[in-house]
Amino acid sequence: MDPVERLYLDAMMEDAAVPAHSLRPQLLAGARARRRPAAPTADWAQPYAGRVAAMDALLASAVDDDWARVIVEGWTLQELVAHLAAKDGLVAASVGAPVLGPPMGAADSLGRTGDVQAYERARSPEQTRRDWRAQADALCRHLAALPPTTPATLDGLEFAVRDHILARGLETWIHAADAAQVAEIRLPDPVPEHIRPTADLCARLLPWTMLFSGLDGAGHTLHLTLTGPGGGEWRVALGVADTEPGEPDVRITADVVRFCFLLGGRGDPEDFPAEVEGDLSLAQDVLTTALAFSGP
Amino acid sequence: MNRRHGSVVPVEAPYDDRLLHQRVVGGDESALGEVYDRLSPLIFGLSLRVTRDRLIAEDITQEVFLLFWERPLAYDPDRGTLRAWLATIAHRRAVDHVRAEERRRVSAIGPRLFEREPVRLEDTVLAADEAERVRQAVSALPDGLREAVELAYFGGRTYRQVGEELGVPEGTAKSRIRLALRRLAGALAEEEV
Repeated sequence: MDPVERLYLDAMMEDAAVPAHSLRPQLLAGARARRRPAAPTADWAQPYAGRVAAMDALLASAVDDDWARVIVEGWTLQELVAHLAAKDGLVAASVGAPVLGPPMGAADSLGRTGDVQAYERARSPEQTRRDWRAQADALCRHLAALPPTTPATLDGLEFAVRDHILARGLETWIHAADAAQVAEIRLPDPVPEHIRPTADLCARLLPWTMLFSGLDGAGHTLHLTLTGPGGGEWRVALGVADTEPGEPDVRITADVVRFCFLLGGRGDPEDFPAEVEGDLSLAQDVLTTALAFSGP
Repeated sequence: MNRRHGSVVPVEAPYDDRLLHQRVVGGDESALGEVYDRLSPLIFGLSLRVTRDRLIAEDITQEVFLLFWERPLAYDPDRGTLRAWLATIAHRRAVDHVRAEERRRVSAIGPRLFEREPVRLEDTVLAADEAERVRQAVSALPDGLREAVELAYFGGRTYRQVGEELGVPEGTAKSRIRLALRRLAGALAEEEV
């Protein structure tokens, strides 16, 4: 920033003034009407609620052309938002939360995505945005009273609802980043407290992504260091049936956001920026299979 | 209020600007409240200075923070501080208001003989002629104050370094700079509009 401007603003700070009455209550009420805050929900679901709010902020600036532009998977922005609504609806159905949109037919991600997209194509992009947000917020409200360990199933995978919701948060984040990239808008990362549990989910998924790719990491241990805000250290037993991690066979250090995005299918595992020590071929196996669960 | 880090003024958005921005993007209302608490005295003071109307200045202040909440992605922390971003919007709106008032008056009493050149407002708080006025106000400061301000703002020195170069304790350097800032605010106020 220009030094003269900084000087001017600092001088203005010395000359600051306050309104006769605080505008704060008015401001917060007005804010709520202009843009809906993140839905109130359980603590563990807040990373998801936050990404929904961020995606919605991005969609608020979309104009007609933006909605018709292909973002990813050959889907337009409107179809992508319908896809998010479809998967959110499936998780909602699995835990007894309200399911919005067309009557439930296909109950798998791709089938339900097709149904919701067909339904939304007949509506305006703005309606699609509202439908998606209404589904996400209804799910958040339902989660407020739900134990995080409640089992939930999506596409045949049964995990604690907390993990499904973290995965929904990651997918919403990744698709918001896809859309922001096309629109040439810089999307800030989630706050560190939201990245941390998302990264934790990604670390815990590694034995499963390996197994899903036909590799059994049983008896091997990974020491994972994720750097940047929200990062941390994990010791991961790479066999799904392993009870305790042992001494690490391999150490991988990588940026926490890049690592989450790798799990989400963004980034080339062959060219993934990571520091690796120890069993290099095991590291290779971990990284190349990391995106096994990343569907559309 | 005016939080200072290692150097006198942060050049890029400091970490808490980024964090507040991340929270606002994520729909956290309490972050908007914090931004308001921290920056509304500046934004209101600036709007009041330009418009000289408390009600209008309140409206502008309200609108600036609402806009940040509604379209948080319009702000990019890599391009500057949140303070400068909000001040730029407030300044632009305040000037727009004054001009609209002026046009109304002109159309009521007939055209002026010489219209002033319209000031171009881009993505800066200060137009070129306004920046020039700030520079002039700095050069009109008493030497002791002027040197301290020049070292801190144009020389990028910390309070401690300013003190060392002027041969005074850090605390003295700091109070000279604050006094200078207050004098500048006063001098600029006298010539406003």
